[in-house]
Amino acid sequence: MEKRRLNNGKIKVLDSLPMLIVCIAVILALYLVCFTQIASTNAMRYMIQIFLYIAMAEMWNLLSGFTGMTSLGQQLYIGLAGYSVAVATTMLHLSLGLGMAMGIGVSILVSLVLSLLLFRMEGMYYSIATWVVAEIFEKLFLNWKFVGQGSGMTIRVEPYPRIHSICIISLTICVCAIVVVYLLLRTKVGLGLNAMRDDVGAASAVGVNVFRHKLLVCVIAAAFTAAAASIFLVNKGIVYPESGFSISWTVSLIFIVVVGGSGTIGGPIVGSVIYVFLQEILARFPGWSNIILGVITILTILFLPKGIVGTLQQKLHFDIFSAKRFSYSKRK
Amino acid sequence: MDKILEFKNVNAGYGKEQILNNLSFYVEKGQVFGIIGPNGSGKTTMFNTLLGQIKPSAGTILFDGADITRASANARCRMGLGRTFQVPRPFESMSLYENVLTAAVHGGSQSEHAARDTALECLKMAGLYDKRESRAGELTLLERKRLEIARALGTRPTLLLLDEVAAGLTELEVAEMMELVAQLKANHYTIIWIEHIIETMVGSTDYLMCMAQGSCAVQGKPRSVIESKEVQRLYLGVDDDE
Repeated sequence: MEKRRLNNGKIKVLDSLPMLIVCIAVILALYLVCFTQIASTNAMRYMIQIFLYIAMAEMWNLLSGFTGMTSLGQQLYIGLAGYSVAVATTMLHLSLGLGMAMGIGVSILVSLVLSLLLFRMEGMYYSIATWVVAEIFEKLFLNWKFVGQGSGMTIRVEPYPRIHSICIISLTICVCAIVVVYLLLRTKVGLGLNAMRDDVGAASAVGVNVFRHKLLVCVIAAAFTAAAASIFLVNKGIVYPESGFSISWTVSLIFIVVVGGSGTIGGPIVGSVIYVFLQEILARFPGWSNIILGVITILTILFLPKGIVGTLQQKLHFDIFSAKRFSYSKRK
Repeated sequence: MDKILEFKNVNAGYGKEQILNNLSFYVEKGQVFGIIGPNGSGKTTMFNTLLGQIKPSAGTILFDGADITRASANARCRMGLGRTFQVPRPFESMSLYENVLTAAVHGGSQSEHAARDTALECLKMAGLYDKRESRAGELTLLERKRLEIARALGTRPTLLLLDEVAAGLTELEVAEMMELVAQLKANHYTIIWIEHIIETMVGSTDYLMCMAQGSCAVQGKPRSVIESKEVQRLYLGVDDDE
C-alpha cells in the first residue's frame, strides 16, 4: 500500500509500512473472528458472500479493468466449478478439497482450450463470444443426462463443513486473489497488461507477448473464479444449468467493479460490501431489484466514472495497493 | 558493406489485394534509409510487412542475418526492430515514464531495475524528461510524436522505423522533429524513415528509395533520386516527352 502526497506541486511516493501493518492486522482480525466464532451465523453468512464476491470481482477486474478483456462469460467457470464439486462429492464421495481442486482443474483446462478460439477476437466481439460460449455450455448441461439435465445436481459434502470453516476458506481465497492480482501487477507482466488495456497493437509493437499475457490472466481468472464459486455453490447445496451458467453472475461482478472502481484493487472490495448489503435490502422489493441495480450502475457511470475508490483516490491523492511506477520511487 | 535488413522478392497485401509486388531492397548498418512514394505506393504496407502485421505471400525478409519472414510482431521487436506509429498510439492511461519503461522491459528484455535508467535516458533524448510523470493522454501532437520515438528507443532497437514523424506538425514543429532525427543519426542509429515531405528527406537521409505500385521505382543517393525522371513523373506528373 502506498500514499502519494502533493508537495510543492511534486508528487511524492511514501512507501507506508504502517499502512501495510494495518492491512495485515485487518486480515488477522478477520481470521480471528472466523476461528473464535464470535460472530453470529448470520454475520458469517454475510462475510462468506462478501469474501467470495471480492475474489470473483477481483478476477473480473483483472480481465477487464487491468487488461481490457471485458468478459461476459465468467459464469462458465462458476457453472463448471459447481458441477465438478457436485460430481466429486456427491457421486465420487470425495472431499470438498478434492472437489474444489477438480473444479479449478476443469476450469483451467477449458479456459486454455477456449483461449485458442476466443483470442482471435477483440473488443466487443470477444465479450459477445465469451457470453455465447457460456450459453452453449448451459445448453449442453441442460441436455446432459449424467449431470441431471435441467434439474441439476445436489451437492452433498460429507462431512459437511461448519460455517466458520467455510468462512475461513472463503477468506483465504479472497486474500489470495487480492495478493495474486497485486503481485502480478507489480511485475513486468503488470506493465504489459496495462499497455494492452490501452492499445493491444501498440503493446505488441513494443514487444509485449499479447497471447501469453492474455492466456495467463484468463487462466488465473478461471482458477480463482472456480475456487470461489465452488464454496458459493456448496453453501447453496445445489447446482443446475440456469443458476450455474447464468449471466446474472457476471452482471453482479460488473456492478461490483463499476461501483467500486474499475482498474483499482480496492474497488472490488468496496463494491462487494455494497452489493451484498444492497441485495439484502432489495430482496424486499421483488421484481425491482435488477432495475434498481441497473439504475445505480448507470448513475455511477455518469457521475462517478472511476467508481467510489477511483474517485476517492483521485480527489485525495492516494493509491491503495497501487501498481503505478514512478521515476523517483525507490521501489524496484 | 554490412546489411542489417534485406527484402527479397516480397509479395504482400490485404486479403486478395496484393500491394507489394516483388519488392527487393536492403539497408546497411548505420544508414538513414529514406522511403518516399505517392499515396498508395505501398510504403505503409511495406512497414507493416516488415513489422509482422501482414504476412507476405511470397519472398523472404532477412534481419541481421536471421529469416524473420514468419516471426510474430512482438518477437521482431525483441529482436531489435523498434517502430513509431504514423498516428501516435501512446498508452494513454500510463505516465510517459511507464510508457517507455514498458518498452524497455518487454521489447528491450531488461529487468525493471535496469529498464529504469534506459527509460529516463530515452525520455531525456526525446526532450520529454520534465514531463515524465504526466499522463500520456494529456500530451500535444508534437509531444506524442516525441513519445513514439522515446518508446521505440526504449526497446533498444538495432533498426529504428520512423513512420511519417513529421506528418500533421506545423513548420516550426517539423524543424524540432528534424533536430531530434538528426540527434538519432548522430547517435549512430540505423533508421528506415518514411516521409511525405520530400525536402526534409534530402538533407537528412543517406540513401533514398522511391516506391511505386508496391515495388522499388528508383533508389540511390537522395539528390539523384529526387531529380530522377521517375520521381518527377510520379510526383509532378512530368512526362519524359515533355
